[in-house]
Amino acid sequence: MRGLLRGGEGVPLVALSCLCLLLLAYPLGLLVKVGLGDGLGPVLDTLTSGPVMRALKNSVESALLSAALALVGGTLAALVLGLTDVRRKGAFTFLLLVPMMIPPHVTAIAWIQALGPSSPLLQSLGLAPPLGSTHPLYSREGVILLLGIQHAPLVFLLVLAALRSLPREMSDAARVSGAGPARMLRRVILPLLAPTLIAGYALAMVSALGNFGIPALLGIPARYTTLPVLIWQRLASFGPSVLSDMAVIAMLVALVAIAAVVLQMWLASRRRNALIGPPQPPLDIRLGRARPWVEAAMALAILATLVLPMTALVTSALVPTYGVSLSAATITLDNFAEILLRQSATLRAFANSTLIAALSAVTLAAMAVLVARYVAARDRRLRRIGKGIAMLGEMTYAIPGLVISVAFILAFIRPLPILGLSLYNTLWIILLAYLCAFFSVALKPVSSAYLQLDPALDEAAQVSGAGVARRMLRISLPLIAPAAASGAILVFLTAYNEVTVSALLWSSGHETIGTTIFNYEDGGYTTLASAMAAVTVVVTVLLMALLDRFGRGLPAGVVPWRI
Amino acid sequence: MLRTLAGATAALMLSTVALAAEPSGKLVLYTSQPNADAQQTVDAFVALYPDVEVEWFREGTTKVMAKLRAEFEAGAPQPDVLLIADMVTMEGLKAEGRLMPYTGADVSAYDPSLMDADGQYFSTKLITTGIMYNTNAPMVPTSYKDLLQPEMKDMLAMPSPLTSGAATIHMAAITADPALGWAYYEGLAAQGSNPQGGNGGTYKAIAGGEKLYGFMVDFLPIRGKAEGAPVAFVFPEEGVSAVTEPVAILSTARNPDAARAFVDFLVSVEGQELAADMGYLPAHPGVTPPAGFPPLDEIRLLDFDPARALAEDEANKMHFVEIFGG
Repeated sequence: MRGLLRGGEGVPLVALSCLCLLLLAYPLGLLVKVGLGDGLGPVLDTLTSGPVMRALKNSVESALLSAALALVGGTLAALVLGLTDVRRKGAFTFLLLVPMMIPPHVTAIAWIQALGPSSPLLQSLGLAPPLGSTHPLYSREGVILLLGIQHAPLVFLLVLAALRSLPREMSDAARVSGAGPARMLRRVILPLLAPTLIAGYALAMVSALGNFGIPALLGIPARYTTLPVLIWQRLASFGPSVLSDMAVIAMLVALVAIAAVVLQMWLASRRRNALIGPPQPPLDIRLGRARPWVEAAMALAILATLVLPMTALVTSALVPTYGVSLSAATITLDNFAEILLRQSATLRAFANSTLIAALSAVTLAAMAVLVARYVAARDRRLRRIGKGIAMLGEMTYAIPGLVISVAFILAFIRPLPILGLSLYNTLWIILLAYLCAFFSVALKPVSSAYLQLDPALDEAAQVSGAGVARRMLRISLPLIAPAAASGAILVFLTAYNEVTVSALLWSSGHETIGTTIFNYEDGGYTTLASAMAAVTVVVTVLLMALLDRFGRGLPAGVVPWRI
Repeated sequence: MLRTLAGATAALMLSTVALAAEPSGKLVLYTSQPNADAQQTVDAFVALYPDVEVEWFREGTTKVMAKLRAEFEAGAPQPDVLLIADMVTMEGLKAEGRLMPYTGADVSAYDPSLMDADGQYFSTKLITTGIMYNTNAPMVPTSYKDLLQPEMKDMLAMPSPLTSGAATIHMAAITADPALGWAYYEGLAAQGSNPQGGNGGTYKAIAGGEKLYGFMVDFLPIRGKAEGAPVAFVFPEEGVSAVTEPVAILSTARNPDAARAFVDFLVSVEGQELAADMGYLPAHPGVTPPAGFPPLDEIRLLDFDPARALAEDEANKMHFVEIFGG
């Protein structure tokens, strides 16, 4: 232990471990306690029952396949924007990230509307399926496709950040030696990106595993039940045993997530590349005559992932009630007036969500920078601690948000010891739950950046007598800043419109955007929900524009779309 | 006779106590009413009792119950009153000893089958489940049996009893009806129907024209029709089932005086008129239903026994899963 604490690691290590224990391990422990409340027998019964096994299979299948889709889509887009000479890179990057700001269940609703029998778009093209026919997205393939689309921006942002910190010398050397773009990609870029690609795949997979909105809307009608949906159905039976049932299934989700992450860490350790440079402007491989085609393909992707759902959303926000078709006679701004002028809760929800999403983004990015150092440490004991914390974060990310919120009720309903303050029914309990649920989102990009960082740099500084703080500030931080920033932005976007984590933790005065939209939808006010979701997208775009403004003074690569 | 007398005495005593202390302080309400309705209810109550400060939490019944279960588990239930869902859920809480009886409420005008005999929960409105159809559809169904006609194959949508409380009760009422029974649900499965999600999703499927007919709670299509949506609601010949959004006081209530005042308010004529204003069918026979609804005495309710429905709940859901798949 003395050796471990040498070199000034002691204080940050202990403080960080305590914080992670409180935020991650304590709520998880309470869940395990609830799950095991009636002994091991009922747990095994639950786990081996037919519906649970079926849901497990569906969960694993949809997570694996949709993550592959997200990996291919996200990586392709990042390679095009990071390596070639397409025009309007900033705008493309920005627009590809926007779909992440639309809550998953809203995206699902928009796609259902856009491709269903009553779709105005398909009707005007004469392609609409006949009335009464089953929706094509109500299927296993529909669930996988939409999960893939939803999580592709995660991979995209990760790969883009990694591309920017790849040392330019390698690719320049390859080009000088006469390697064509294809060869350079295969022999230089992709091998160097391997840790990031693995991390991106794992992040997309674990995200899909814990997703509720999409399988709930598309999977239930297809009887394609995943574990989070099964948890929801168990909760809906209201009986006294619902909590332990829910906890047991949640533990199963956590175990699957651990399996995925162990595999990821094993793969990453085999592909470790110790290479990183300061953020660089992207390469400009000339696409020549192919350029307009590539640009058209990108525009098409944006059309499908952004314009299509947004159109459906805005269309249903502009009619007086759902099912009325939009025309000059029916168009109305009443829904917008209602949410913006009459309901005080909506504006409060925007303020609340902006505040706690921003706080969790900043806090988690800082925590990720510290923890990732341990994940990539040479010292085996430090590395174990780092990996242990990463593993906990992985579990809390995969466990459906609703279960996390139950754990936080159990953990924080009583006033805090010593302080005597109660967090229950305040905004701060939601903030803590976000820190718990989204830790992994911030950690992924940072730890893959650290794994690319040559430890010799840090050791050289240590030998020269630099302390921990100085080494972090002068050596590591500049090199991993782009990754930490993508982590923070990912956390912000995820937290900004999540629906499930705050579902049981909000209280009047402390609403969040996601719960407000869901409440409208749930109460039958679809048009208000659509209006609110449309406003959310606009507000997020404004916030990102603000970041853009503000980002001029930040180091290169921190704001991802400033290329 | 003796029990009635004892009850009446207790009621008298309780109501005297309630009158003696004008309710004040904080009242915590958990409800599954839609936001705007919940706000309206609270505003109207506070106007009558300005000394009471109401704090409320609104979510779907599933989430309200999940939150409450977690609070039970942690040993610190927060709400004084619940205003949620259906009698079966309340029956379950009653069986666990979570509710506080209030025998002083004046429910003499109501159909006794809508109120708990021990005064532990009180129905506040009738949200009936019947048949909704898209007005572009070729037929207008008038009975449940109509949905089994070959022309309606693959045109049906309905909420799942695994998700929706109203659908659970609808299933319990229909399968307990000797003329329909489980054979009717088997018939629905043979028609290619695919119960999914809650009433909101089913409403959208029918209003949007993906499906044309289905089971639905009354107020969504009646309200939608008034706003111009291509939908309509039918009270089928056999009768409708109803969830009654009961109100109950928790045995752990910290402010029982205010909680009792809240119950009194909801079952009073003013409270019932408020429900009608919001577009719901009031449970009080003396209050005029909102536009679009027939008078209460013309609505036929399917027989329903909440205690039996609670006892058979799990078996019913298993049976449902056998017929329709998980």
